Amino acid sequence: MKEADMNKKVLAFFLGTIITIIPCFSAGGNLLIKNGTILTVTKGSLPKGDILIVGGVIRQIGENIEAPEGVRVIDASGKYVIPGIIDSHTHIALSGTNEMGEAITPEVNMSEVIQAEDLSIFTALSGGVTMVHTMHGSGNPIGGQNITLKMKWGRPAEELIVPQAYKTLKFALGENPKQASRPAFGGGSQRYPASRMGVNAIIRKKLLEAKNYMLQWERYLEAKKSKNPPKTLFPPRKDLRLEALAELLRGNLLARCHSYRADESLEFIDLSKEFGFKIACFEHIPEAFKITRELRREGIGISVFLDNWAYKVEASEGIAYSAAYCTRNGVLVSINSDGGERIRRLFNDAGKAMKYGGLTEEEALKLITINPAIQLGVEKIAGSLEVGKHGDVAVFNEHPLSAYTRCEMTIVEGDVYFDRNQYLKEREDAEKRGKDMKKPGGEK
Amino acid sequence: METSKKLTALFIALFVGAVLSPAEVLPTYALVNCRIVPVTSPVIEKGVVIIRDGLIESIGAIGKIKIPEDAEVIEAEGMTAFPGLILAHTSLFLELPKEERPVPGEARMPSEPQPEKKVQNPGLRAFNLLKPKKTTIDGYHRIGITTVLVAPEAGIFAGQSVLLNLNGEKPEAMVVKNPVALHINFVTERNSYPSSLMGTVAFLKQSFLDAEYYSSYQSHLARLQKGMKRPEYNPFLEAIIPYVIEKKPIVFTCGNQEDIKRALRLQDEFKLNAFLSGANEAWRVADLLKKAQVPLLVSLDFRPPLSSEYSQRGEEERKKAEKDIYPANPQALSKAGLKFALTSSGLIDPSSFQKNVREAIKAGLPQEEALKALTITPAQFLGVDSVLGSLEPGKIANLILANGEIFGEKTEVEKVFVDGVLFPIEKKAAEAKPTAADIAGTWKATVRTPMGEMEMTMELEQEGSQVKGFMSSQMGKWEIKDGILSGAELTFTLAATIMGETMEMAFSGKTEKDTIEGTISSAMGNAEFRATRIPKAME
Repeated sequence: MKEADMNKKVLAFFLGTIITIIPCFSAGGNLLIKNGTILTVTKGSLPKGDILIVGGVIRQIGENIEAPEGVRVIDASGKYVIPGIIDSHTHIALSGTNEMGEAITPEVNMSEVIQAEDLSIFTALSGGVTMVHTMHGSGNPIGGQNITLKMKWGRPAEELIVPQAYKTLKFALGENPKQASRPAFGGGSQRYPASRMGVNAIIRKKLLEAKNYMLQWERYLEAKKSKNPPKTLFPPRKDLRLEALAELLRGNLLARCHSYRADESLEFIDLSKEFGFKIACFEHIPEAFKITRELRREGIGISVFLDNWAYKVEASEGIAYSAAYCTRNGVLVSINSDGGERIRRLFNDAGKAMKYGGLTEEEALKLITINPAIQLGVEKIAGSLEVGKHGDVAVFNEHPLSAYTRCEMTIVEGDVYFDRNQYLKEREDAEKRGKDMKKPGGEK
Repeated sequence: METSKKLTALFIALFVGAVLSPAEVLPTYALVNCRIVPVTSPVIEKGVVIIRDGLIESIGAIGKIKIPEDAEVIEAEGMTAFPGLILAHTSLFLELPKEERPVPGEARMPSEPQPEKKVQNPGLRAFNLLKPKKTTIDGYHRIGITTVLVAPEAGIFAGQSVLLNLNGEKPEAMVVKNPVALHINFVTERNSYPSSLMGTVAFLKQSFLDAEYYSSYQSHLARLQKGMKRPEYNPFLEAIIPYVIEKKPIVFTCGNQEDIKRALRLQDEFKLNAFLSGANEAWRVADLLKKAQVPLLVSLDFRPPLSSEYSQRGEEERKKAEKDIYPANPQALSKAGLKFALTSSGLIDPSSFQKNVREAIKAGLPQEEALKALTITPAQFLGVDSVLGSLEPGKIANLILANGEIFGEKTEVEKVFVDGVLFPIEKKAAEAKPTAADIAGTWKATVRTPMGEMEMTMELEQEGSQVKGFMSSQMGKWEIKDGILSGAELTFTLAATIMGETMEMAFSGKTEKDTIEGTISSAMGNAEFRATRIPKAME
């Protein structure tokens, strides 16, 4: 479940947005962005510089770069050019968020239900977002396998997948898995577990099963290798659920754990040590500032809302200073959207980290660029403007952390997927057309 | 003595008759002077067809075929003979047992995780649920349809289909092939696993893996004969093994382009003999389909899926796509060189089938291609092309006589032969429409989504089968559109505007005297819908 009250959830079920669809301006991934103020995030800034993208990859960053023949040139004079924003935790572009039929469902994979026609992709682009980690919901102690996507609006689902990203598995602690499928919430019957201790116990129980499953396979494979395997030797049954957990235990899947309280987060760290799996990130975690030492020691990142707390009991101790405080204490922090709404103004949230806790501009920008890139394992291809990285770029009319800024253009791998001017023109045309239409519910 | 002999003879006759064939001997027919479109061979401008004992005995140009003395001659000057049309995916005549619903408020707190509920029924055979109705059959004869594939509809593993000739109302006599295919839908369960689409995919994969495992364990055991524990008998896996292991056809119903990709991924991973049904977005993935070479049972339902960008762009764009884009699906497939059958699945009544075939032709599908897609192609897909799908000697006498081109706007089917039985079509008979229920009034509705419940009020006006009205809740009042009541089946769409944003929803369900139950689907998924009538006095 996402962080919203029940009414909003029901409402969200029906909510869509009126849109205009802007076809991708494909230039074959070749583009020269000229004369912008370039904030590379990792390599300082250039007050007036150019970026040349060829074949979807940044080839050159500097001054007075000449456009190779046939390459489209975008004039970014007076504008700010930053790496495409990365959202480390959202639920957009999916047909379905939670598999609520069972409490433990690591066999389900979001890559099977990518909804490339979800309007939220366009919304994300309008906020400069070029990559998202779109995840299973937090209804289950062990949810499903998540997927990292590029926001290539209008392209087929399979082209959105970022194969370089970590393979991750969603876990959830606390109220959401506890209260999921409570009869009052429309479920038929109460599901186990219904307490925090139950959540911990069911995860441990299932991981023990997975270990046992791995052992069975090991024994079988060993017996098979022996000189005279018995005729009755037969492989164990392949169980996709335990197979996924085995992948976690082998280190091929990383845990991304929805967690609110400091105590349960520490318990989960203990669990990861007991079973030897890796936690990439804690999600939301309003109490992160209480356990920065442990997070830093374990190398666990956090993906948080900037100034959103007290929307439920377990979020009551959240503070707006957490992101800055954790950053300064050596924790890898990213700011997430959790959905299709905040995703269009993550740069505003990053700006707030300067007000609450006094991060520098660069530190604040990192919260939505290189930090989430590291959390997703894509820092070699995205998260900053560097030669050799993908040409994922957002262009803003003012400094991206200014309260008055807005995204003008969003580019993925050298192709323009969002152009504000073009969008406004299309919207105007649509409004003109709309005037002739009958209004829903109105007079005929 | 005489009497007892006679009685014995009568008994034998009755017994043999009952077991082997209908006692009635069919008349032999000679259709003369008609134009003949055999589909698999060139058109005969003036010809003869001889029908004997349910089969086509001979066929040819006039003068080249001897008219048998015992034949009943049917003068068919000015008429054209076509093979009977085949609809390769319907849910005709099925009477399903009523689904049990959990009683709300009946909460339990199990101490253990609950075992997986397997409500799936791949062993369900459509044949066992058939209740053929004469009025329905007459309606299909009127538009030239003589053969239908009937498949159970509900659930992920819906069950197994049967191929029927519409030759009467006796299921045993109607069967051409049974079972034909296993039918799978990308749907979810209510309140049990799998409750999400990704869960459904995982559940399908695990089921296929289990079938492979169960089957290979058994053959291993059979080879050794002893020394291994026998597996627990599993009727679920037993039912799917012929399809997963022996590669009998599995029909995946595909609601949008992503469903098509999902089905192709499963086909590829488990080496299935997959058929794709529905697939009205096949044009969007034509390249993938060309590589996959799977039989396509393409629906003539031109409504864009709710997930499509056309639906999401609002009512105007959706309607435009329904009119201009989706009818071109068959022609696009034909241009891409893909082989496909056309079906009526998703359509409300037979009359929209005819209309939509014409629309597909208008959008560029060559008429001969449309005819093939309803005759020889489905026959080949279903493995019955040696007996059905064209007019050839030795094939089953499923034949229609029409007064023009089969899909012509003014064409009428005048005579239909199914298994050699003549069904005359009454001319200009008023179309038998089921009397619509009266659903006008005010209703209290509950919409149940995976996220929770919402109360609504529904005001309905009704004019015959047309339904108008409004739905209202705290969040606004929305107009009900495209409302159609066909018998007890109610469908409508709704464009809900909440805080300035619009969402398209489609409702389909069943009405009873004081209840309406069904599903509302939107881009976000499906929601359960139940409404009860508010008595007049209370309004």
